[in-house]
Parts: sequence; C-alpha cells; structure tokens
Amino acid sequence: MNLQQYNISENNFEQCIKCTVCTVYCPVIPINSNFPGPKHAGPDGERFRLKDPDFYDKSLKYCLNCKRCEVACPSGVKIGDIIQSARIKYNTASPKLRDILLANTDFVGTLSTPFAPVVNMALGLKPVKLVMDSVLKIDHHRTFPRYSSQTFESWYRKNAEEEQKKFPRHISYFHGCYVNYNYPQLGKDLIKIMNAAGYGVHLLNKEKCCGVPLISNGLIKQATSQGQHNIDVIREAVVDKNMTVVGTSSSCMFTLREEYPHLLHIDNSDVHDRVELATRFLFRLIDNGDLKLVFRKDYKKRIAYHTPCHMERLGWAIYSTSLLRMIPGLEFIMLDSQCCGIAGTYGFKKENYATSQGIGASLFKQIADVNPDFVATDCETCKWQIEMSTPYKVMNPISILAEALDVEAIQKINRL
Amino acid sequence: MKFDTIIIGGGLAGLVAGIRLQEKGRQCAIVSTGQSALHFSSGSFDLLGKLPDGTEVDNPMGMMNRLDAPHPYSYIGSEAIAVYADEFSEMMKRAGVNLVGNVSQNHYHFTPMGSVKKTWLTLKDFTILDRPDNFPWKSVAIINFPGFLDFYTKFIADELEKHDVKCKLSLVKLPFIEKIRTNPTEMRSANIAKTFEKEENIDAFVEAVSPYIKDVEAIVVPAVFGIYSDKPLLYLKSKLNKDVCTIATMPPSVPGIRMQQQLIHYFIRQGGTFMLGDTVERADIEKDEVKAVYTANHSDIKMTADNYILASGSFFSRGIIARPDSVYEPVFDLDVFYDTDRSHWYDTDVFAPQKYMSFGVITTPDFHAIRKHVTITNLYAIGSILSGHNALHEGCGGGVSIMSAMHVADNLLKNK
Amino acid sequence: MKKVGEGNEYDVIIIGGGATGAGTARDCAMRGLRVLLLERFDYTNGATGRNHGLLHSGARYAVNDSESATECIKENMILRKIASHCVEENDGLFISLPEDDIAYQAKFIDSCRKAGISAEAIDPKEAIRIEPSVNPSLIGAVKVPDGSIDPFRLTLANVLDARQHGAVTKVYHEVVKFIREQDRIVGVCALNHKTKEVETYYAQFVVNAGGIWGHHIAEMAGVTVNMYPAKGALLIFGHRVNNVVLNRCRKAADADILVPGDTITVIGTTSSHIPYDEIDNMRVTPEEVDLLLREGEKLAPSLATTRILRAYAGVRPLVAADDDPTGRNISRGIVLLDHAERDGLNSFLTITGGKLITYRLMAEWTTNLICKKMGLNEPCRTAEVPLPGSRQESEEVKERIASNNVYRAAEGRHGDLTKEIPLDNEYDNSLVCECEGVSVGEVNYALKELEISDLVSLRRRTRVGMGTCQGELCACRAAGLLSQAHNCTEKAKADLVNFLNERWKGMYPIAWGESLRESQFSAWVYGSVCNLSSGKTK
Repeated sequence: MNLQQYNISENNFEQCIKCTVCTVYCPVIPINSNFPGPKHAGPDGERFRLKDPDFYDKSLKYCLNCKRCEVACPSGVKIGDIIQSARIKYNTASPKLRDILLANTDFVGTLSTPFAPVVNMALGLKPVKLVMDSVLKIDHHRTFPRYSSQTFESWYRKNAEEEQKKFPRHISYFHGCYVNYNYPQLGKDLIKIMNAAGYGVHLLNKEKCCGVPLISNGLIKQATSQGQHNIDVIREAVVDKNMTVVGTSSSCMFTLREEYPHLLHIDNSDVHDRVELATRFLFRLIDNGDLKLVFRKDYKKRIAYHTPCHMERLGWAIYSTSLLRMIPGLEFIMLDSQCCGIAGTYGFKKENYATSQGIGASLFKQIADVNPDFVATDCETCKWQIEMSTPYKVMNPISILAEALDVEAIQKINRL
Repeated sequence: MKFDTIIIGGGLAGLVAGIRLQEKGRQCAIVSTGQSALHFSSGSFDLLGKLPDGTEVDNPMGMMNRLDAPHPYSYIGSEAIAVYADEFSEMMKRAGVNLVGNVSQNHYHFTPMGSVKKTWLTLKDFTILDRPDNFPWKSVAIINFPGFLDFYTKFIADELEKHDVKCKLSLVKLPFIEKIRTNPTEMRSANIAKTFEKEENIDAFVEAVSPYIKDVEAIVVPAVFGIYSDKPLLYLKSKLNKDVCTIATMPPSVPGIRMQQQLIHYFIRQGGTFMLGDTVERADIEKDEVKAVYTANHSDIKMTADNYILASGSFFSRGIIARPDSVYEPVFDLDVFYDTDRSHWYDTDVFAPQKYMSFGVITTPDFHAIRKHVTITNLYAIGSILSGHNALHEGCGGGVSIMSAMHVADNLLKNK
Repeated sequence: MKKVGEGNEYDVIIIGGGATGAGTARDCAMRGLRVLLLERFDYTNGATGRNHGLLHSGARYAVNDSESATECIKENMILRKIASHCVEENDGLFISLPEDDIAYQAKFIDSCRKAGISAEAIDPKEAIRIEPSVNPSLIGAVKVPDGSIDPFRLTLANVLDARQHGAVTKVYHEVVKFIREQDRIVGVCALNHKTKEVETYYAQFVVNAGGIWGHHIAEMAGVTVNMYPAKGALLIFGHRVNNVVLNRCRKAADADILVPGDTITVIGTTSSHIPYDEIDNMRVTPEEVDLLLREGEKLAPSLATTRILRAYAGVRPLVAADDDPTGRNISRGIVLLDHAERDGLNSFLTITGGKLITYRLMAEWTTNLICKKMGLNEPCRTAEVPLPGSRQESEEVKERIASNNVYRAAEGRHGDLTKEIPLDNEYDNSLVCECEGVSVGEVNYALKELEISDLVSLRRRTRVGMGTCQGELCACRAAGLLSQAHNCTEKAKADLVNFLNERWKGMYPIAWGESLRESQFSAWVYGSVCNLSSGKTK
C-alpha cells in the first residue's frame, strides 16, 4: 500500500503524542499561570480551533515565542509556530498604539536618529518613563537602548563602501535595526573580521526590519510586505550576485529563515540556506580549511556565553562558541541555556514585566555566580535584558572576535 | 565538525555511551531530536524481570544464560554484564545520580498504582523493598495536593492496606500550588516540582503536613521534589523526622527529568557536545563505512567522526518508523527485523507481549549495524533500537540500553 | 425475584438502549405511558454508536429509494430543531470525479428535488472554496443539506427526556426470558449484570428495539425476525479534515462518505455480510483499512497522509423481507412488526431497519401503534418539543462560554444542560482529558447524572479518551475519579485495564506511524510505569 507512508499536518501538530515534555521546558508556565502552556495552546488547542475558531484563546499572547518547546519536543511538532500561527489567524483585536510603536523599530529609529541625544535623554528621564508607563503601558523599569547619532548605513556609505570592492570575495550583510540605529559598532566589527578574512562586505538593496517585532505584535500585513521585500533584495544578492547574506543578530536570522515561510508564508526556499549568522559563515570557512584565525596574545578575558532562545532553536550556538573558544586568552564559560525573559518587545510591555523578570531571574543569578568580565550573546534583546537586569556588560561574539583578532597575522597566514 | 564519536540519540543509551567515552577523553557529540523517554522513567532501571517465555526472574545474573541470540544480553555475556553493572553505578554517582540495587537480586519499588514492581536499580529518592510483601512501616500518611490528578492516593492506599499498612489520606493546600491550578491543564508534576525549588516552599509544605503525620511512621508523597537536583528532597527529609516515601506520578516524571538533566550536564562538563533539538537526517556511506552525517540544523556543514553510534530509540523516538506495510530505520536505512504481515504485529490484548515491541535493527554480536547485508565497520547500534528483545515484556529496557552502551563504548576504547 | 405489585409493572417495556429504543421510551413517556427501558450493556452500544454520525439529507437515497429520502429530509429538518446541541449544520457536497459519470448528476439533482431535498449544482471552484480539502480534480459538485449528528448525545438526550417524563431506564439489564401467558407476552426476566440477579418486570406491551440483536430477542419470544447482518467498517482521523460532509455523486458504494464530527473526521463505510454469530466480535481487517484509505483519498487527498486515530465497525440491522428466506431481499426502510398480526403473538412489537436519522419517526410509528392498541388518543409531540440540551440557552451560559474554553467544550457536548455542570472553581475546571477538554466538573456531573458504570460509558457521555492520545493521559485520571464516585479502587483499576483494551481494539488495526508511537508510549506508561496487566498474561 502506498498510502500512509507519512503523516503530514500543519506544523506537525498531529505528530504530537501528548507526552507533556514541552510543558516541562516552557519558561512562562511557572511564572504566569494565565498561559495555557505549550501543549494546550499548541497542538491540543489546534484541534479545537479547527473545529470552531471561537476556541481561540486570547491568553496565547503570553507565549514568548522562544521555541524552547520545539527544541524539547521528541516528535518534531512546531509548537511555537502553531501558537503564533493561531495568533495570526484568529486574533481579531487590533494592535494598540504602544504595540505599533514598539514593533516599528526601523520607523521609530529613523525618526530618532537625527535627534539621538535628545531622544536618548528623554527616554531616560523619569517623567517621560512614567508617561510611557501609564499612557503607553511600557514598563517604567525598562531602559530603552540608546540611539546612535549616525546610522550604520550612512557611516558605511561614507566610510566603507568604496574599499569593499578590492576584496577577492564578497558577502552581503543584513545588519538589522539594532546595528543601524543603536549600535553601528557591531557592523563595523563585522566588516573588520570579514575584511581580514578576505571578504568585501556589501549591504542589501535597502533592507527593512526583519519583522520579528511586527509579528509578535500582530502587525502581520506589514510584516509580510516587509518580509517579501527583504526576500526580494536577498534574492538579488544571493541569486544574481552569488553572495551569501550574513547577519549578526540571531533573531533577525531566525526570522528571515524560519518565521518567513512558517508564519508569513513567504517562500524563501531558494535563498534559505544562503542566509546565516556571520559566525556560522566563518565557522564553515575554518571547518573546511579555507580560513585560519590568529588572535592577539594580550587578549585576556573571562567570558560567559548566553544562548538566546532563537539560537537554541537554530542549534547554532556551537558556531559562536567554537569561534570564541579559539581565542587563546579567553576563559570561556557556557551558561545553562535558558530564556532571559525579554523575548523582543514582550518584556517592554507593562503587563509582561513581572513575567519577563521572573523568567530571567535564574539566568541573572547564574551570571552573578560566574562573575565574568562580560557576557557574550548573539541577540540584541537578550543583551538589553541582561544589561538592564545585571551590572554586566554584554557583547556580541563578533565584537569580541574583532577585538581579539590579529588582522595582520591573519592576512599573512591566509596569504591574502 | 569533527569528533571522535558521534552519537545519534540523547536518551539513556546515548548518554551512557557518550559519558563513558568522554570520561576517557574521547571527543563526543550527541545529537538528540528532543528530550528523551527518560522523562517518563519510573525512577528505576530494569535488568531482567522475565524470560521471553514468561518465567519470572528474581536473580537476573543467574538467568542470563537462559537468553539466546539475538538477545542483546547474549551478545554481551553475563561476565561483562556483571562488570558493567558496577561500573555503571559508579559512573552515575560521578554524574550525581545515586542508585541502589543488585544484579543478582531484583528488588521492588512502588508504582503510581500503589502496587510493587520488580526492578534492578532504583534512584535513592525512592523506597525499595527486598520482597514484594516486606513493607518497612505499619502506618503512613499519604499526602497529595487538591486537584493533582496524576497521583491518586486511594489507589496507593488500597494496595498498602492489603499489606496491613494503615493509611491516612490528606490533601494539603498551599498557595503557590493553588496558583498553578488557576490553569486548567498545567497542574503537572514538573510544574509542582518547580515550586519546591524554593526552600521556603518546602518549609510551608512541612508545616502544612505536620498535623497529619504525628502518629505515622512514614509519609508518602508524589515524586515532585527535586527536578534540577536532589537538594529539595534531601531538604524535605532533613525537615521531617520521618521516613519519606516518594512515589512516581503519571508523566512527566520529575526524577526522570532530573536524571536526564544530570547526565547531560555531566556529559557537557566532561567536554562533550550535546546538540539538543537537532536531527540527523542523512549520512554519507561509502562501501562499509560511514563518512559523515548531516543534521537539520547544520545542513551542509557535515559532522564527521571515526565512529558513529546509533542510539535513536524505538518507535517512540523514531529510531525506527512503521509504515502500514514495513518498518525502516530512517537515517542509514539499516536492516530491520520486522514481520511483513501487519496482522502479526499485535496481540489483541494490549497487555500481552506485543510483537511490534521486538522490532528493531539487526546487528552483529558486537553491535555493528548492518545495511543491505553489509556490516558497517564504524557504525554501532545500542539501546532500544536493537531487535532481539521485548523490553516491556521482559522488563529489560533499561538494562539493554545501559549494557549495550557500555559494551560498545568499551570496544571503542579498546581499539585505540 | 421480584413479584407483581412491587413497582415492577409498566405499560411498555422497551428492550434496547440505542437511538430507537431511547426515542421510543421518550415518545411513550411523553404520551403518558409508564415506560421501562432495558439495555443489555450501555446506551449506544450497537449500530447507534458505530456509524458515521451523518445527519443525512436523504440525498444519498434519492435516486434509488425516494421513500427513505423523503423520510430523511423531514427528520433532518426536525432534528435540527429538537436536537440542535447534537447537530452540526455543516452541509454536504456530492462530488463527481473524472472517473464518475457526470450524467448521473442531473438524475441525482432531479431525484433530490422530487424528494424535497434542496440540491444545487455548484461550480467545482466554488466547491473547493467552501471545502478546501476536497479533491481538486473534481468535475462537478452538488450542495445538499447534510450535516453531522452525535449519536451518543442524541440517544442520551432522549433517555434524559424519557426519564423527565417518568420513564424508568436501566442499563446493564439483559432480557434473558419472556413471560408468556397463552398468546400474549406479559413481561420479561432481565439479568442485572452488576448484581448478577434476575429481575422480573411486567407490562402490557414489550417493544423489541434491539437492533441487530433483535433477531435473537424475537427468537426468545418465539417469533422469527430474519436479520441480515451487514458489517460496515469506518476510520476516524485525528482532526477535522473537512468542515463540509463529502460524498461521491454516484451509485452508493464503499467508503464514499467523509463526515466531520466534533474534533475528528470519519470515513466510511465498507459493507460486507457477516454470519450472525460474529456480530458481537467484530474486528476491522487490514483489507478494510486499505480500502477505506484508498477510496477516502479520492474524496480528500490529504487523508493519505493524515493520522488515523481508530478503526471501528458496526452492524446495520437490516431485515430480510418476510417472504424471502434467502435473506437477499433486503428492506432498507423502517420495519415495524406487529407480532399479533404477523405471528399471533399479542403485546409484542419489533421496530427495526431504518436509520439513525429516522429514529424519531420509528419511535413515533411504534408509539402510535401502542396507543392505538390501548385506545389512547394522545398525539405525538416529539417533533416539536426540543430535547434536553437543545432548549433555550440562558444568557449566563452564553456569557460563560465566551470567557472559558473548558465551558465552551462542555457546552458543545451538553448544550443547555451545561448549567448543571459544576464549573465554578479551578478544581472543577481542571482537565481530565486534555485532548477533548473534559473537566473534573464534567466528569463528576456525568458520574452523578448520566448512568455511568465504567470508563467506556463515561467516554460515550463526555468524550474522555476519544482524542489524539486515546486515553494515554486521561484514562488513569478518569479511573481515579470513577473510583472516588463508586468508592471502589479495585473495580476502577480493573476497569482501567478494560478501557485501555477497548481503546487498543480500535488502534491496532491502524497502528503504524504516529499511532504506533502513541501505542508504544501508552504501553510504557501503563504496562511498565504502572505495571498494569490484564490478568490473562500473568
């Protein structure tokens, strides 16, 4: 019989055999008992929703979309995707102004950049925070990331674009909103490493925000149109110019690769494998023997690595940590993989603040126990959360590598 | 990515092999699709409870010679099994898992139904009996939380009372557990256990039960103390001046989860690489040798090793997969033992020995895997993926996983 | 043995707790008769509980049997009103595939209209729009007022209403002997399976509504009713694949109806004659499973890869025509036998044949005959008075549904009776069965009010254990609550074993892929962790 060789269902929801493993690893349940838990919100709830859409439950919004349930699931059920898809499909409430503001990182960023000092100061002021707290329901404990006075893009056009052409090989860089508006230095660090490895770094033909905050705030139309645009310009780079697209944010990369097809139904199959984190790109070069890295002898640091949820889902922490472990003077500590609680814009919302901090508490304690020089992680929102909740500074592995790199030695050994 | 040994499957067999090799300095990677069946463990490991013909076994070692090929034990041999048994207990101790038991004398532990069941090794958490009727107390208080449905005290009490143990049933209401119950589904063992990570909550529990336990010899509680370590249980025991008898709940199993976490952490501390949430999808095989394996998360970045161990479990973990007319092994397409007539797979009595349970991959006596009748020289199969035994009927699941893992690991260690 | 005068005298004794028996009990009771309903096991144990759950529009019979078709559409419209909580008004499509003769469609539509069934040919594209799972290669589609009906709820609602009208109902009471005085049946002896005692009841009339077992019951009474056992096998899929009933627009054949019902979808059925002595021991064969899948895939291609939950089979209580000893000449219509007229045996009636959807009409005919014989002139009101559960929904119920999915799931099963279910606190709200959303409150309500004797009957009343895991998580929890209600753990544990075996019976014919994974997991949990056994193997 040729029938029934496989079982297929939307997001594998019917592959669930009700083993309850996902419920053990959901970071929300122990903190917020209003959340039905991944099993019931996900595959169980899906059967009800197929029967009658009125079974859609508003409390699904408490899901962090951390996907730790999916990592734990022995049955390959895309539990997080089921929950997020249900929110997209069934939620009828329109997003609040606050959610729209939090979601539009690039729009708000564009407005803020020219006035960065003012905005930074204002966002830091107590009265402003209280207004945001009471009117917008953005928790007053939150510190907004500072805006840079020059975007990464404009810096790149002025200072870096021209010289990228001289390299023998080329990649494209999806820098994301954080690098562009808040922390251009990370983009500069990436260029330093890639150039040292013999790659010229190019920007996409006007990237837009990957859409992760739009998705989590229910602005699906906008997310889909931005996503389609991004895949179009990525396609130009990958297909027309044969350039891999790398990024420095695990959440952006996860969204471009996985959330686009699964949640927004954007077909990225032809470019999917050519979009990845820069650390993965570098790891592959080294693993294939195409690149050797050399580090400064005087770089001595004690670093604890935190695995962001989306990094855990991608299974890519090994690339970043392997590169960090190559730095001879670096004392490396792997923190237990757990959610920091911020989940992008989730933790900024007043109603989620307590949940958010509750989830992160044991991570903060772990960091304090380890007492590193600084924490390394691949996600900017994890960085905010840890910096807001602990006295420790957080750096992207790319920045650490850039700092520790011996550029001349690399060029010599790789005969560039 | 290069390792000495790549182990596919992060359950009991995979972890035992991985730890054994890693302790001796071999670089291992374990790839695990999700969390393993240890999450439903009763807290005990069986070695041999019955012969295939149904004969009851009290002394597993004494009966080993009654098992013929292709039973995995017949391949390993009783002498080696006796040695591995000791070494396994020692190894588990190093990982922080304390077990009691004797290969030459099965003991008894309590089931969630209150009955006693024969087994080989039991976590120190639990109460064990030398004989099925030799109960250590004359009176107990059985404690549960209102609305916790996965632990039914009346079932337990009735069994105990058959053996003249006086039982007092009590429910204790604690605010932090009541909070879980606001959610209709999440009153689960693991969620309760997480609340007892705080010592103050155990203090509250002790205070709440104290009126009920004055005139009893022991207190019987669901196994919800100690999900990350055995500290909560030890703390509870130190606070109560009574014997504490924990009894396994319906899934998920808190002691099982803890055991799995402890083994993973120990493996990582020994330098092992544990890739959770990733699946080996295919392999490069040349003639009689595996050259590389490829996973979902690492796609084109291949994983290579000198040796490969397949510990991917039975149907549950998709080590083998049943189609309506065949059973196959999905990674390497190994030779699988099964009956081509589906009507022979099952007995109509669900509790009778089911033939499908004995399906699995066929190996050489040293557990080399076989593919299209060719022995693969650097690929081994261990654990419940093996054919030749019926783990449930014979009560040998834990033992086969442990012994085959120890055996293959030792052979690999000898070969260098 | 009870004697006359001890409250064991009735006007009517009805044998059989299927839809027909329950419906007859209701009708008789509503007309003021003193009624006793005796069921050998549990309600809906026979063909009532083993069919598609299809609320026929009658379209399926329109071409060949216009009488049945007319009955169906009339009853269909009545059930929508009186049993709204058992019915899903989801419409049906009769599709033509390239291999089907499209000329049949015109004949079909014409026949439907003649029978009073609205039948509208629609564009295949429109058919795909209203039912995306339909085979996209269809060349024609006709929309008819099919629907889904839950036979368990329907039967129980009839039982509840009969009781509200004074009827006495007894499950696990098997009629073992008729009490006959000359040419008249005056009573029955029934074995109470729980107490193992034989009880005696007297009545003016005894109605044989035993479905396929009616053959044997008639034999006991000394008359012959030739039943023709036709086995039909069906498959349950794990979730709703379709929301519109799908049929093939052709001469009725095997496996050509796909019915969505509650959280699942059912494909069926096969049809094969079986010997009468096999009716209590039916198993679905691999060949039947293959046939159902092969044909089902033609209606909705996704069935080829959709997880199957169970396979089951029922026996249609078809009656051979009286003048045909070979049994080949089958009546598919309603058969009401007045044994006084037919066999000279007074006070004994047999009601059989028909369909689930015509149960009410069958009850009406039977009750009419009894009333006529008794000289009573009470009109039948069962077509107008809604069943319990389908009466006015209070604002309070509506409000609670909106805020609480546990309540919403319960309301789907119990309609307005949900107000009787204690769901006021978190404890009552806790789910026993997570797949089907059955709470502690609902289980306790069923245990108290709905004649639950074991986990199987609990399942029929509430859907406990009917979901994806087939009892893996919930069976033990439900057994705990059952033992609490019955104050007996031994029985509850034995029942847990029976229940798991009953679930397995439907699982092993389709146990491969995910279902085999589920089975192995359940076997570990109950066989290993809990160390349960059936006793046979130990």
